[in-house]
Amino acid sequence: MSELHFLSPDRARSEDLFAPRFASPLARVLAGTTSVLDLSQLGKIEVRGDVDAIDVEAEVVRITPRRALVLCPYEQCAELRARLPGLVIDMTGALAGLELEGEQAMRRLTDLDLEGLPAAGKVAEVPALVLRDGSRFRIFFPQEFAHYVGEVVLDVLEGIE
Amino acid sequence: MRLPEQLNERIDRSRPVRFFFAGRVVEGFEGDTIGSALFASGQRVFSRSFKYHRRRGLLCCSGGCPNCMMRVDGVPNVRVCTEPVREGAHVHAQNVLGSLEHDLLAAVDHFGGPFTPVGFYYRTMIRPRSLWPLYERFLRNVAGLGRLDKHAGRTRRFDTEHRRTEVLVIGGGRSGREAARSAAAAGRQVVLVDERGAPADGAFEVLAPARAIGIYEGGLVPVDAGNVLYRFRAERIVVATGALEQPLLFPGNDLVGVHLPGAVRRLVDEWSIKPGERAVIVSADERGLAVADKLERAGTSVVERIDLRSAPPRQLAARGSRGRLRSVVVDGREIECDLLVMSGGRQPAYSLLAQAGARVEYDAERGIFVPSDLPSNVEAVGSAAGEQEPAAVPAATFEGAEGAGRCFVCVCEDVTEKDVKRAIAEGFDSIELGKRYTTVTMGPCQGRLCHVPSIRLFARENETDEKAIGTTTARPPWAPVSLGLLAGRGHEPTKRTSIHHRHEEAGATMMWTGFWRRAHSYEHAANEALNVHRGVGVIDVSTLGKLLVQGPDAARFLELLYPNRFGDMKVGRIRYGVLGTDAGRIMDDGTIARLGEDQYYVTTTSTGADTVIEWFEWWNAVWGLDVETVNLTGALAAVNVAGPRSRELLGRLAQIDTSNEGISYLDAKETYVAGVPCLILRIGFVGELGYELHFASPYGEYLWDALLEYGADLGIRPFGLEPQRILRLEKMHILVGQDTDSESNVLEAGMPWIAKLDKEDFVGKWALEHVQERGFREQLVGFEMTDGVVPAEGGQIVLGGRPAGRVTSSRLSPQLGRAIGMAWVRPELAHEGAEIDIKVNGGFARACVRLKPFFDPEGERLRS
Amino acid sequence: MSFLLNCPNCGPRDVNEFACAGEVTSRPKALPDLRGLTDYVYFRRNVAGVQREWWYHRFGCEIWFLAERDTRTNEVLKTELPQASAGTSSAG
Repeated sequence: MSELHFLSPDRARSEDLFAPRFASPLARVLAGTTSVLDLSQLGKIEVRGDVDAIDVEAEVVRITPRRALVLCPYEQCAELRARLPGLVIDMTGALAGLELEGEQAMRRLTDLDLEGLPAAGKVAEVPALVLRDGSRFRIFFPQEFAHYVGEVVLDVLEGIE
Repeated sequence: MRLPEQLNERIDRSRPVRFFFAGRVVEGFEGDTIGSALFASGQRVFSRSFKYHRRRGLLCCSGGCPNCMMRVDGVPNVRVCTEPVREGAHVHAQNVLGSLEHDLLAAVDHFGGPFTPVGFYYRTMIRPRSLWPLYERFLRNVAGLGRLDKHAGRTRRFDTEHRRTEVLVIGGGRSGREAARSAAAAGRQVVLVDERGAPADGAFEVLAPARAIGIYEGGLVPVDAGNVLYRFRAERIVVATGALEQPLLFPGNDLVGVHLPGAVRRLVDEWSIKPGERAVIVSADERGLAVADKLERAGTSVVERIDLRSAPPRQLAARGSRGRLRSVVVDGREIECDLLVMSGGRQPAYSLLAQAGARVEYDAERGIFVPSDLPSNVEAVGSAAGEQEPAAVPAATFEGAEGAGRCFVCVCEDVTEKDVKRAIAEGFDSIELGKRYTTVTMGPCQGRLCHVPSIRLFARENETDEKAIGTTTARPPWAPVSLGLLAGRGHEPTKRTSIHHRHEEAGATMMWTGFWRRAHSYEHAANEALNVHRGVGVIDVSTLGKLLVQGPDAARFLELLYPNRFGDMKVGRIRYGVLGTDAGRIMDDGTIARLGEDQYYVTTTSTGADTVIEWFEWWNAVWGLDVETVNLTGALAAVNVAGPRSRELLGRLAQIDTSNEGISYLDAKETYVAGVPCLILRIGFVGELGYELHFASPYGEYLWDALLEYGADLGIRPFGLEPQRILRLEKMHILVGQDTDSESNVLEAGMPWIAKLDKEDFVGKWALEHVQERGFREQLVGFEMTDGVVPAEGGQIVLGGRPAGRVTSSRLSPQLGRAIGMAWVRPELAHEGAEIDIKVNGGFARACVRLKPFFDPEGERLRS
Repeated sequence: MSFLLNCPNCGPRDVNEFACAGEVTSRPKALPDLRGLTDYVYFRRNVAGVQREWWYHRFGCEIWFLAERDTRTNEVLKTELPQASAGTSSAG
């Protein structure tokens, strides 16, 4: 059984000639902005199996009874991968993430019930996972949409100002 | 110009506002609308009509009718009677050539009847057909509403916002506010929307001015608030849209000076304007007659009041000159006047309720259509529900008088009583047909003024009653809405690989493939292809679909999905697979690598990825096997390093033995490449020695850069999708969707070894068995042109004057110096060397059928 | 279409978050004759009334589930997760 090392960005290593550089898919679109935080380098580990059996010191977002996303600092990925139960898939590189402020901005991005978060649903026309902390929102979505989502989010914020 | 201060006037006389109209400055006050300020300044003609270019004035003065539509600051079709004044606005009349008073296009009205009856264009202007463009240009100039300023650009910003509420009240009149207050008192969250700008209320949220433009399934109510479209999801919807004042149908009813009661009421009460000197009132209800008090307060003398409830006249006609009312003729008596207030009663504004699914039935006694059987989440209150004072049912039309003009049923589209009669005579006797033929109710008022009168007229002409005629279907939008608002911000979901920006920086020509942006080529496609044959090239294939299939049933699951066998594969090996449906159709293709006993890594085509992943998950739900499928498409970047010198390059970067023994053709190996953990798949889509590197997306740019840097001395160059298409065609590798269609199966596509028909079951097995039984109808083959011409993809293959196949792919191969391609041909042509004729530029070009790859037929270079 | 669909996992959501894969059909147990195969692959009952359908929560939790929907009114009477090995399918 392969341990799927090639999925985990934190397994890259600098040696002699090489120094792999982690690049966020949001880096270009968010350059020069302070209103939106880039969470793309947060550790994101998917668990398939018995979600209730997850027992780690990290934020666990339950997507279905058999599927959850565990959020952690990048440095903690290796430890969590080892400790999580079931089928463990490192989605750190798969998902881009951003954090923004304001309920009105969110209402212009999604029709999800903002009182019913976290939830998986459509944001800016792409599949996403949305979490809420007071008036701050975190959105995780497939990294291939990152540049586009970044543009939409900045445009929405500009329309509110 | 203004009356002394009125009790409830809306204007603030201490705050003048100036704007421009027809080259002059008009002054109004804060609280005025552009319409009221213009009226106060003496303006009486506000527009020229749609078809006949007749003068029109403020008929309803409440945003319902089309008569006051003007262009304001470049925005066409603004109803100035409800548009607040703003300093410095530029207001222009529309649909006129010249001015409102001297409109050259008004000639249409003078040519008179024969030229412009309903249906005239359809019948008359179709011959000769070649002249239609001229007719069309003429008609577009004459008929119409506003004109778009094509050079305006995006001058306004439109946003969309999703809202939720427990109770949404539509309409801020007395009933609406009462409903909102009581729902709020019961602890519900309430939002009230009102198009007139209802004042705020402490108990609930008021959104105004804003218009609900429809009620859709699931309690969805789009609300037009000017620059923002609110998509409300409401658990409960209260419709309090009130009732609509109805006009009367009599000759001359469109003259300037003919008003509905509400117009007069607003002019006097809200803006303190005297609407005229001598007034006649003809009314079916008390509300209409009550306007008399307002008029007298304003100094207008009411010279005649006609109560349709007690003594309805037979004859009612208006005479005018230069489009303005001069007198009214009632049963032979001519009464001079410059103001005629007409009221045909009030019709509940049921349109939103009908959209929501309510039934609408005619109440013969009251002469109105009333909503009933509301859906459980919708409620109607006040006049919208049919609560109103009794009124007379007016005659469908009144008898005319000499010198009175046409009798208009619909002022939006200039449809007259005569037009409707003619349509019925021609057989358009149902209201739905008549509506489409005459366009009555289809104009900007959306039937507010003409719906009920046209039904009455249809009933009379068909010698039946309104109940039998029935209503037309109510559809959104209930109020005109700007297309820009519906379009919103217009962002288009776009997928970019993690290497995307490197392609742009390298000056690549980008193209769409599905949602993806991909590099078509960087400089010259042919050179990029040649560089792969001669040295080494690299292409970004991150767009490939990538799936992990893991679990005790993984092999069984894949063997059920694919015609191939996978259980016999060694760990670390790769197999080409073609995915089919139960119809036998080729759905997708890709590679399947066995990473562990119960673990497979599956790639799919770039554009098929989403479909295949859903397909996998669906069959997994159907079969309930013990296997997990995980979409890794975005998690991993992928590049294909291909060409005879690719081994040398990989040797410099990878931590494994890159010799042919170390990693041979169709091996899958995990290792570090330039410090990044990679899955290397040694496969050869482009026909040369090549390695597909799959690795975590965040290192896309880094590894791309590293490959170009360490391959520089080997002559490495990136290549795009177009050179890849040339290269794969040289190898006769199919592109699903390009070389296959909804009829293609693996047997006829020339890949019989894929289908293991001895397996007990797999998706598509039965269909393939039937194909085998019935024999082949056509086969996918390669062809080579005998001269250099490249036939078009889709080009027809002809045998003995009859169609015998079609070209699916064709390119000039720079490596072979020949034009090559793939085609579906009849089975008798599917043998090596068969000659076929392909239609090219109206003639035929000869080609020879080839069954083996054009380049490296034995695959020695792949395996080298 | 703007009706709400109750995802067995996420609750009521705008129908635009979902993909519909059509009515539930039954895959033959063994090799059907040509007529049987054609019926299974191409023919649908297409009822004007309550229909059992496959739905996929494409923009949400990405699960497949079954819904009973009245095709005349879009009223969704019931949604549920599929029973494993029910042998239900719908060929594309």
